[in-house]
Amino acid sequence: MSIEAIPVVVINSSENLVAADSGLSGNAPVLLREIAELAHRLLDSGEASAIDLRALPLTPADLEWLRETLGQGQVVATLEAEGESMLSETVCPGVWWVTHHNENGAVASEFIEVTFVPELLKAHPEDVKIGLEHLELLISDLS
Amino acid sequence: MHGPLIDTLARQGVTRRTFMKYCATLASMMALPPAAGRAMAEAMASAPAATRRPSVIWLPFQECTGCTESITRSHSPTLEGLIFDAISLDYQETLMAAAGHQAEEALHAAMKANEGKYLLIVDGSIPLGLDGAYSCIAGKSNLDTLKEVAKGAAAIVAMGSCAAYGGIPKANPNPTGAVSVSDIIKDKPIINIPGCPPIPVVMTGVLAHFLTFGSLPEMDSKGRPKAFYGETIHDRCYRRPFYDQGKFAKTFDDEGARNGWCLFELGCKGPVTYNACATVKWNGGTSWPVESGHGCLGCSEPDFWDAGGFYKALSMPADPLKMASTAAIAGAAAGVAISFANRGKKSAAKSAHETTTLADLEK
Ligand code: SF4
Ligand code: SF4
Repeated sequence: MSIEAIPVVVINSSENLVAADSGLSGNAPVLLREIAELAHRLLDSGEASAIDLRALPLTPADLEWLRETLGQGQVVATLEAEGESMLSETVCPGVWWVTHHNENGAVASEFIEVTFVPELLKAHPEDVKIGLEHLELLISDLS
Repeated sequence: MHGPLIDTLARQGVTRRTFMKYCATLASMMALPPAAGRAMAEAMASAPAATRRPSVIWLPFQECTGCTESITRSHSPTLEGLIFDAISLDYQETLMAAAGHQAEEALHAAMKANEGKYLLIVDGSIPLGLDGAYSCIAGKSNLDTLKEVAKGAAAIVAMGSCAAYGGIPKANPNPTGAVSVSDIIKDKPIINIPGCPPIPVVMTGVLAHFLTFGSLPEMDSKGRPKAFYGETIHDRCYRRPFYDQGKFAKTFDDEGARNGWCLFELGCKGPVTYNACATVKWNGGTSWPVESGHGCLGCSEPDFWDAGGFYKALSMPADPLKMASTAAIAGAAAGVAISFANRGKKSAAKSAHETTTLADLEK
């Protein structure tokens, strides 16, 4: 079961009513700074990085806020691999929202990747070789 | 990322991308940084040919083979199986083709060839009664075998509640004198993966970690991998909002049960049980005990079998799990304590020997 599916009930929240109402924990805005930091690193050294959204204390509302704030960019890629994975670029090029679903459609893991192109989208040279063999087969069938 | 493992997978129709996605998710489940997913993929993909893979020796002691069943019936057979492809499982009585003297030879050959480097997995408890005569393999008591094989191991995985804590064989009155691995072996790193049986992905996660980093993952005070046993069933239970609102099922077929209310009063041990069932679930993520309408038995905690009855609410007296949090839990659910008081009387009238009767179930 995905954690999102658990309705969160905040108890003893009298001191923190505003946050309880919106479901926001206040942890999401901080992440924007971290993403900016990672984008700097990408530009300066070409080093890609990722943030595991499951590893952070984010409520469903936090995640929603973050997703909305980062917005939807121009690229959306779907990967079919034992369940669907969605890799979509946010309005900030180089900042990708990556969601992996399992075969049952539940979210298995979720990341923000700061990279020019997510590693998963690139074809591996070994796979290209296999593709090439297939192409050659297709060509030989032509004659 | 290239190697014999990826080729094997490709032949089984598992693509490189599927593999990378699996490793990313596994790392996330283990609370490792995202880069660890890549590292795991690299380490496992480039695992060398069969002869040089890390050697794993799996010893079964006083056990029911449920742990092996759990692992071999895991979620994505090819992907979980892949972890086993990345290791050389040199001795596993249930899975190996060899038998008798051949099997024993395989064991000793593997021990010699990989001295100081192999990973030892143990399932089942070790009986100390009658000089260990209750369980012997090849004429040797489990105690002697464990000591002998542990000597050359790099680390030990105690698989399941029996190996980790003694489990069901240790249940009162413990006729065979069963003890856990850590009761005997004191000079090796030991990781406990309790559960009756444990969740498959916990096992594969620990193996993947060992393969990638050559060490065991971070553990809690009971020697369990923190990533999977860091929170209680109750912390992550989807029925938790009902608990917080004081809405409890009182029998297994009342309105509350039908509405999916909290199973605390029906004996759920979720509040004192550390395991990942509520998030990882069972049978390929299909469901888990509380979702199917039955409380948690607490199977990943020490002495769960003797915890005073599976259908007895935690807040009732004579709770051998003796977790400090129990009192706080009873207090949190205002009003609930009163109904427990009556039940306390009923149970006090019972003899010390607890059997589960229909009356227990109908509480
Ligand atoms: S007591 Fe059991 S059923 Fe109730 S919320 Fe906790 S874990 Fe879930
Ligand atoms: S829900 Fe509880 S009893 Fe059931 S498998 Fe999980 S830890 Fe064990």
